[in-house]
Parts: sequence; structure tokens; C-alpha cells
Amino acid sequence: MNFTLHIWRQKNAAAKGKFETYKVHDISPDCSFLEMLDILNEQLIHDKIAHPVCFDNDCREGICGMCGLYINGRPHGNDDGVTTCQLHMRKFRDGDEIWIEPWRAKAFPVICDLVVDRSAFDKIIQAGGYISVTTGGVPDANCIPIPKDVADRAMDAAECIGCGACVAACKNASAMLFVGAKVAHLSLLPQGQPEARQRVKKMVMKMDELGFGSCTNILACEAECPKQIKRQNIARLNRQFIASLFDGNRRDDD
Amino acid sequence: MAHERIVRIHSISKKLLVGLFASFLVVFLFFHMSANLLILLHDDGAAYTAFCHFMGTNPLVKVAEVALFGSFFIHIVLASYLWLCNRRKRPVGYHKRSRTRTAAASKLAMITGSLLLICLVFHFYDFYLVKMNVVEGLYMVKLEELNNSDINEDAIWTADEEGEYKEFTETGLRWFEITSKTNSDVWLNNLTKEDTEILQQVYRNINTEPDFYHMAHEKFTKWHIVLCYLLFFALVGIHIRHGFESLFQTFGLNNRRYAPVIKWCGIIYTWIICLGFSTVTLGVFFGL
Repeated sequence: MNFTLHIWRQKNAAAKGKFETYKVHDISPDCSFLEMLDILNEQLIHDKIAHPVCFDNDCREGICGMCGLYINGRPHGNDDGVTTCQLHMRKFRDGDEIWIEPWRAKAFPVICDLVVDRSAFDKIIQAGGYISVTTGGVPDANCIPIPKDVADRAMDAAECIGCGACVAACKNASAMLFVGAKVAHLSLLPQGQPEARQRVKKMVMKMDELGFGSCTNILACEAECPKQIKRQNIARLNRQFIASLFDGNRRDDD
Repeated sequence: MAHERIVRIHSISKKLLVGLFASFLVVFLFFHMSANLLILLHDDGAAYTAFCHFMGTNPLVKVAEVALFGSFFIHIVLASYLWLCNRRKRPVGYHKRSRTRTAAASKLAMITGSLLLICLVFHFYDFYLVKMNVVEGLYMVKLEELNNSDINEDAIWTADEEGEYKEFTETGLRWFEITSKTNSDVWLNNLTKEDTEILQQVYRNINTEPDFYHMAHEKFTKWHIVLCYLLFFALVGIHIRHGFESLFQTFGLNNRRYAPVIKWCGIIYTWIICLGFSTVTLGVFFGL
């Protein structure tokens, strides 16, 4: 398969970027999108045309959340429920023009080409996405009964890999689905419940501070999430946030 | 700084406020639509006129009216503020237009909201500003009030040289014409501004009220106005289609079990509002 690639090139955070056009030939339909970019980079190095294209990647199994490209108007490209590394070239037509852009958000500044700084997510987690209770030794497997349904919902929320597609897809660059998923997987389980109200407030405050937008319920985040995190996690976040406003037991949260 | 702590509002709180005031508007729409359906009763507008009189004179309604306008104002201002704030969250946009599949009603909420604001200005011009005495419309006055009021005979009769009243003046003739045309035993209605001025010359201290029943009939017999109002109702529908579900989501009332129920309630509510308003408009147009 042959493709024409329009790739955003930007030397560094301060530089002004622009699209460059490259052509790649004889790409296997079973090639992943990142492998296709590897082939392009080999070609660029070999032909000494330009510096290789920078893009984030790590596990290439769809579980680490490192890769994330805005491909032809969609985060992670034109396949549902997959990350960029799991997107295969068979999803495109031979001869297609492909526009590749980095995530665009005030909170995710571009570092180089297609790489963005997603440490804002880490800062949100640092603000409250943890359990600080002393858990002691490993408890007996069944000493804390958790209904299967609750455990499933917590696990579904914990699937979030923090790739940032929700922010990239959202018209407002909101991180509500990410924060909702993190708040949900911690607060659904007994260990995370004692700090639930302080956690939600701290994480929301940090999210606002870092320059993410507010949710206007367009739900593009849900549509583009590679882990198919559901909108109900945002509703739960809202619910817990409202509860936190009426929490009389304020500690170090404000 | 203390003032910063007070002024700083969380993004979720802003959205909650937008939703809170919108919920009042959503409920109001059902009330407005139900009241409008009274126009279609075959009673020459008796029920609707009585309702309008109640709404125009009851002090509690005045309070509710202030709350309603306050809700409109805060909803519009906060939603616009949120929109402006959110625009700044992506300083550099994407080159390729988004191809994410989302509900158009939600994506276009700001556009439908802005168009609704323009429609509301025209709607107010048609009806509400008549009540505020800014625009001329049609009026009505209670017959009981006329009967209990003194007649200013100078305005009706022409006095001769000896001071005796002999014949109608022009005002008196118009007055006679106006007072004899009523087909209601409660209201003298369908009066123009000029009619009310003549009545006020003849009767002292009478209160006229807007005649919304005849105003609706006057407006909704013109096809282009009917068409504009149908588009207005469609916009209302699209906006509520987003707003109804969004309310439950914002207040955290959406979960896996309720989601389909909320969705269908939203669809049904939207259709009830749209069809209810459209039925009144089309009913008047086709003389049902």
C-alpha cells in the first residue's frame, strides 16, 4: 500500500511548526501505524531527507498509553477502541492521504513533532489519585467482600491508560473522562472510599489549575477512548464532587 | 488571598450552575406549552384569557417571572463564559476537522443556544413587549371594570349652548362601536391601542391588559410567521435534546441502569415540547 503523509513537524516547544509531506511505498496492510512511521523514519534517515519524525511509543500492545496521534481528524485514527499502536494500515485505503497531528491542548504542550508533554495527567494523579491509608500486610483474599458488579465497574474504570485521547477529542480539551475514571476506580473499592471526597476535590482543582477545559457533555471523549471508558464515570465524578461540596469534614482539601 | 478563594469557582461548579438554571427553563417550557394548548379550546379564548389575566395580575407570578428572567440571564451569561473559557484551552487547533462521532445536538449546543436567543428577541417583540408597553399589540379590558367605572360624558356628548348634552362626539361614536363589538360576557377584547386610548378617555381609571389570544390568532394566520415559529420550535427541540440528558449527567444522576431511561425520557420530552408548541401554531393557522 502507498500513502501520502502530512506530518506536523516542530523542532521544539518554542519553534513554529508546520506540516511536511512525505510519501511511503509498499507498506504491508498488516503493518501497524507506528511500524509504518518506523519505515518512514528509516527512509528519512537513509535518504538523509530530514530528521526522523518524533513520536511517543512504548509497549506497542495498547496498554501503556504512550502513543497517541491525531490521525485524519480522530485521536488514535479511524478504528474504534484501539490505540495508535494497534491501528493497522488495512484500515486505510491504498493511496490515502493521512494527516498526522499531535494532541492539541493548552495542558499538553508540543515538545517535538508529534510528542506532547502529558505530565499534566501525572500532576492530577499526584494531587489525589492515590490511597494514603496504611494497608498493612497482605490481607486474606476474602476478608473484604466486594460484590462482583462493583469490582467489574472498578476494573472497567481502571482500564484507563491515561493516553490523553479524551482531552484530544474534546472540543474543550477537558480531562473529565480521565479524572472520572481515576476517581471511579479508587472510590468504588473499599480501600479508596475513606479519602473519596478529598480526592475528588483535589483532582478537580488540579485539573482546572493545569488548564484543562470544562465538560459540556459532548462526549467525544467516550467516543474516542481506546479503552471505552463510559460517560457514567464523569457522572460519578460530578456526583462525588457535589457531595464533597457539602462535606462538613474538611481537612487539607481547601 | 481570600478574595481569590471566593471568586475561584471549580469548572464543575460552573457547569452545575448552568445546569441548575437550565433545569428551571426546561420545566418552564412544559408549563408554557401546556398553557398555550388552551388556545385550541373552542371557547373563544375564555380559558386562555382567564389564564393570561391570572398570570398578568398574580403577585406570585411576578416573583416567578423575575426568577425566570434571572435564570435565562444567568444560563446565557454562564454558558457563554464557559464557552469563551473553553476556547482558550486549545490555543492551537487541529488542521483536520474532527471526525469523531458525537451527538449533533450536543456539539451544536452553543450555536442552537445563540440562535434561540435571537428567536427569543423576536418572540418577545411579538408578545412580551406588548405587556411591557414597549410595542403595540391587541388589548382587552374587563367588562365588569367598565360597568363599575364612571363615564366621562364630556368625551361622549357634545354640549349645546345651554350646557345640555345632545349628540355623540367622534370619540363617543368610536366608543359605541368598540363597546358593542364584544362577543364575550367577561372581556371586551381584540382592542387596538387606539381603541384603548378612546376607552380611557371615556372611562376613568380602567386597566387594559394584553390580549394574547387574539394576538396569537393575528400572528399565526400569516404563513411566514408560522414557518419562523416552527423553526424556532425545532431549535428548542435540538437544544433540549442536549440539555435534558446533559442535566442528569451534570448532576451526577446518570448511571448504567438509568442511562437508557434518561435517554428515552429526553427524547419523549423533546417531542412533547416541540409537538405541543407546533400544534398550537398550526392549529391556529388551520383554524382548528
